[in-house]
Amino acid sequence: MIRDLSWVDPLYLLFALRWTILLTLLALVGGAPIGLLVASLGNTANPSTRLVSRAYIGLVQGIPLLAWLFLFFFGFPIFGIDVPAWLAATCAFSVYAGAFLGEIWRGALMSIPKTQWEASSSIGMSYIAQLRYVIIPQAIRIATPPTVGFVMQLVKNTSLAAVIGFVEVTREGQMTAAATLAPLSVYAMVGAFYFALCYPLTVYSRRLERRLHVAR
Amino acid sequence: MSLVELRSVTKRFGNHVVLKNVDLSVEKSEIIAIIGRSGSGKSTMLRCINGLESIESGELLVDGVAVHDPNSNLRALRARVGFVFQSYNLFPHLNVERNITLGPTIVKRVPLLQATELARDALRRVGLEDKIHAYPDQLSGGQQQRVAIARCLAMSPTIMLFDEITSALDPELVGEVLRVLEKMAKDGMTMLLVTHEMNFARRVATRVLFMNQGTIWEQGPAAAFFESPKTEELRNFLGSVLN
Amino acid sequence: MTYTFHFRDVFAAQDALLQGLVLTLELTATTILFGFIIGLGVAVASVYGPRWAQRAARAYVELIRNTPLLVQLFIVFFGLPSIGLKLDVLPVATIGLAINLGAYAAEILRAGIQSIPRSQVEAGVTLGLTRSQIFRHIVLVPALKNVFPSLTSQFILLMLATSVASQIAAPELFYAGSIIQSRTYRDFEVYTVIAVVYLVLALLLRGLLALCYRLLFTHR
Repeated sequence: MIRDLSWVDPLYLLFALRWTILLTLLALVGGAPIGLLVASLGNTANPSTRLVSRAYIGLVQGIPLLAWLFLFFFGFPIFGIDVPAWLAATCAFSVYAGAFLGEIWRGALMSIPKTQWEASSSIGMSYIAQLRYVIIPQAIRIATPPTVGFVMQLVKNTSLAAVIGFVEVTREGQMTAAATLAPLSVYAMVGAFYFALCYPLTVYSRRLERRLHVAR
Repeated sequence: MSLVELRSVTKRFGNHVVLKNVDLSVEKSEIIAIIGRSGSGKSTMLRCINGLESIESGELLVDGVAVHDPNSNLRALRARVGFVFQSYNLFPHLNVERNITLGPTIVKRVPLLQATELARDALRRVGLEDKIHAYPDQLSGGQQQRVAIARCLAMSPTIMLFDEITSALDPELVGEVLRVLEKMAKDGMTMLLVTHEMNFARRVATRVLFMNQGTIWEQGPAAAFFESPKTEELRNFLGSVLN
Repeated sequence: MTYTFHFRDVFAAQDALLQGLVLTLELTATTILFGFIIGLGVAVASVYGPRWAQRAARAYVELIRNTPLLVQLFIVFFGLPSIGLKLDVLPVATIGLAINLGAYAAEILRAGIQSIPRSQVEAGVTLGLTRSQIFRHIVLVPALKNVFPSLTSQFILLMLATSVASQIAAPELFYAGSIIQSRTYRDFEVYTVIAVVYLVLALLLRGLLALCYRLLFTHR
């Protein structure tokens, strides 16, 4: 049944945005621990653990996100587990985010000059204390702008969850476009909503970056 | 008519006056050494002369061309004015030959074969003919600076400007560059050099300028300039650098 | 629970996969070509252009970079016919992908152009070169060399992103996979094979671009 585009449609799209945001947050919650693991493994003295970290990053980054989505979506049923689209999407995005966050955070850790370790150990700090008071605070400052930038990318990437049927704003848009036969208007609105979410993150990331370089 | 003419030239960077009513006349074949403390305006004056910096007031003429007049053909003038930088500024992605032939082929529309000959000649004058196919990162600082000089020479300039060209060099590489400059001076080139090489200035320059607080504080023929400085500031400056 | 993996059915469809692969490569190559040209033009406009061109460039880059590729493809897919352009799905996909890549390439190239020290430009100025000559002979090649790693990463991302064009029915590798999947019901196996193919492609592309770097930008 075809209907006309009406004033309620933007509202429905707006409400669907909650799921976009939720999926992004779930991806962060799932991806951050993986990222931390990948980052710390990548920073160890042992070349084999470093290789594991690099291999994980290389593997995840070498496969399209759509493929990861489908692999989890069709993979779970194989083991007899039936998962809803949102859970498959969360797993795929967590794996994906874990690799990219791990890369960013590893880079931040590596960019702390060795002299910081030397200076803090020479005043008698233990390894844990060094991490807590000297290294990690600096690493967080360096890592924050690119992390915010990646969160912005995650928001955009959640659009692909529509393909496995998760009803976030893009999927809502597809359904609305099909029902109203006004795809251009609908997708323009969808685009505008993404822009409203992503642009502030972009600006924030840039401001953080500027502040970081001024301070250094 | 003088080759370079400055009349009451004033230049400001924001609120800071860098050049105050500077007057200067440079005749053909003069060798002018410009000395002074950092911040005295010497490099700025040189960069104003070929239009790399703008001026707030006054007149600046080079070879009859008003440098800061928007109607003058500054590009054509620049093809006649050679400028050598403290950090050589060779083009790293081009070899020595292409660095030198770039100007003649593109600006003066000289055919490539002829330009290559010009490049060889210029390299011969600076003693680096064998490095014609090398890349800048394969050369020492002194060699790169000599190539930079050759790059200017290939354009057959009427006047050459040198902005502290030995300041960035290791001491043992300075001599080879100064020797090239001496030869150019002997060959009759008009040269303006901002420099810290006092001995060179005393030996080779025809006139020396001491810049202080944005003006030409004192100037004179080289021998008298260094032997009997007239102003106290110049005496202090020479005292501090000639030890 | 027992499950046997039936990769044989996937390999039986290798012709379809191969066709999809060829199209992915085609799509990648043409998109990189046009995306780079667009990116270079926009970058030059944003550095050297008049105020209005700079603002237009900025708007284009921000619009593309802050919206998802999938939505952009939908807009191009439904938008082109409405301005009278009835094109095949492959050109439509290329246009959408190239517009997307162009924005990212523009940012990268802009950073590259601005990374060239002013002293290099001054050296060109003192020789009497025009702004355009300075750009072509002094700025462009070193700028490309500086940002080549970033461009490489972006091109690889683009190659992987061609999979999104499957959603507007572009018959590239991922679409071929979904066709095979609907025929054989070997969902997981199909996408595993496709994932491996993409991984290999990504490695090959990285190697190819590294080779290009060596050929173009190093001298001995």
